[in-house]
Amino acid sequence: MSITTYTMPLGPVHVALEEPVYFNLTVEGENIKNVELTSGHVHRGMERLAMQRNLVKNVTLTERVCSLCSNSHSFTYCNVVENALNLEIPERAKYLRVMAEEIKRIASHLFNTAIQAHIAGFKSLFMHVMEVREIMQDVKETVYGNRMNLATNCIGGVKSDVDDELIEYILKQLDVIEPQLEELRDIFENNHIMLTRTKGLGLLPPEDAEALGVCGPVARGSGLRRDVRFDSPYAAYPNLEFDMIVEDGCCVHSRTMVRIRELFESMKLIRQCCERMPHGPVRAPMVQIPVTEAFAHTEAPRGEVAYYIRTNGSDTPARLKWRVPSYMNWKALGVMMRGCQIAEVALVLNSIDPCVSCTER
Amino acid sequence: MDTLLGILHMLIFPGGIFALVIGFFFKGLDRRVEARLQRRVGPPLVQPWLDTAKLLTKETLIPKTACKEAFLLAPVVGFAGMAVCAAFIPVPGVFDGLYNMGDLLVLFYLLPIPAIAMMMGGSASSSPFGAVGFSREMIIMLAYETPLLMILLATAMLVGKSLNGGDWGAEFSLLKIVEWQEANGSLGFNPVMIPAFLAYLIFLPGTMGVAPFDIPEAETEVVEGPLLEYGGPLLALFHVGSALKTFVVLGLGVAMFFPGTICDFWLINLLWFLAKCLVLMLVSLTVVKSATGRYRIDQAFRFFVLVPTMLALCSLLLVWLM
Repeated sequence: MSITTYTMPLGPVHVALEEPVYFNLTVEGENIKNVELTSGHVHRGMERLAMQRNLVKNVTLTERVCSLCSNSHSFTYCNVVENALNLEIPERAKYLRVMAEEIKRIASHLFNTAIQAHIAGFKSLFMHVMEVREIMQDVKETVYGNRMNLATNCIGGVKSDVDDELIEYILKQLDVIEPQLEELRDIFENNHIMLTRTKGLGLLPPEDAEALGVCGPVARGSGLRRDVRFDSPYAAYPNLEFDMIVEDGCCVHSRTMVRIRELFESMKLIRQCCERMPHGPVRAPMVQIPVTEAFAHTEAPRGEVAYYIRTNGSDTPARLKWRVPSYMNWKALGVMMRGCQIAEVALVLNSIDPCVSCTER
Repeated sequence: MDTLLGILHMLIFPGGIFALVIGFFFKGLDRRVEARLQRRVGPPLVQPWLDTAKLLTKETLIPKTACKEAFLLAPVVGFAGMAVCAAFIPVPGVFDGLYNMGDLLVLFYLLPIPAIAMMMGGSASSSPFGAVGFSREMIIMLAYETPLLMILLATAMLVGKSLNGGDWGAEFSLLKIVEWQEANGSLGFNPVMIPAFLAYLIFLPGTMGVAPFDIPEAETEVVEGPLLEYGGPLLALFHVGSALKTFVVLGLGVAMFFPGTICDFWLINLLWFLAKCLVLMLVSLTVVKSATGRYRIDQAFRFFVLVPTMLALCSLLLVWLM
């Protein structure tokens, strides 16, 4: 280390970070020369825990891996168990699952967008986005009874049905939120400060994105057409029409725009679910557990969540393993942070929408 | 006797206690209005007092690796510099300002003191965040002091030339500048000085360190930078210094551009002066703060060179050519 460089610690507790992660930055003036990343502060041994509980109890456990994508975990877990049991879930349950997933996606994307404004020092925009997000939180609370963990998925279908009154309420809230989201889209597209801070920052060229195997909005922000909902459709997605949002700016701004434009696709999906949902049961009965293994993956707000299960005939899984999107996107930070400044570390980190508690579980 | 009177002016009116009360009131109002603009309720108006009272009850911690003397001295220097500064601000129709000779130049030298105190504290704290804050504070200071110097020169030259009957001249006494404006109309309405006034409006958020120029203390980047290691009474002293500075820079702006009085009664004049300060604060600090995010340091520097410096230069050239 020369005289002009010094080390600057960032984390594990830092105002710009939502979750603990430790950066050791070698800094020269304002410019970053080297980034070392250490994590492991919130390891809870969840995979081990999952192997000590039965299949039904694990729904509750996986829902608590993470807060913002909690529904994606229980959703994928139920999918993988149903694949293992060869259990076909009722049509209506598929639509209800998609609906819950998309409501969570809107809230999660808005949260990430709000945090970006907060990191850029734009407090009013942070308040504005969080206020819009509150509409979605109300929907969650009204429909599912909880603001974060919806607890709607269960093996064989869903726990809570949605009646006509609730569907009317959801559609009404979507009409309320839509103009506000359009306003937010305009702000993020045109606001001078947000553009100067985020445009061209944290570049991840498509070749690097491909080589690192990134997923979710990070991949789509670098021009890769990668979305599990399209590539291997699950639940009710094959019956619904929506677009894959791809931006080719490869920078923090294009990742934000992917998230914001995806909000409109999610609203489209929720509306279609409300419209096309068939009547019928929402839950299939449990069947005998065979000795087998299975795999399932879904598109969480942050990217692909993959679950693998091996059963031994008993009600406890012999192995339950999952891979989360932040694990894949993490590695891309090295490319993105090349030559960036201290002021930009938090913005770049936030652009992959890191979920530390998922990754370390 | 003069010395004693001078000290009283620095400690009671308009410096010291008076400036502190007004500064804290403005800060409280600023937070309240900002909250309302964001559809929050916001803290009560006395919140700055409560914060300070709480800080005063806390322990003073000094980092082991810090340079103790400089670390302790920095907030005191910042506070003292501003208390003295406040005594130089003339309140039209109430108070003429201390020592009416060249006080514009004295103010120019005294105004950077809080920033220098901040740099001193930041570098003495031996924290890497303090070091980054130090370098940022230095850069932003260079950026906003240049337009300020040009604004002050333009004002002094305009008034000086007029007093000299059109010949070359510069008047560095704030009292004379205020009196000239009472006879010839406010400088803020003078077309030649409008660019300088706009530059002053941009200088205000720069010197007060609020968005979009809150870069040295950026919370999400360098965690309050130079202030990171401070706590308890020392931090309270920094807050007090900042409140005094609010009064000083707003008062200077009103004295230079809109010093007009409305009647002969001192209390009304005082309230009128404060009302103008308040409007200046709402326009240049509160609203700007709630409508913008934070620039990166190089972007802020470029902005200061391109916009306020050019505006101030424009006024200076116009005054020179007139």
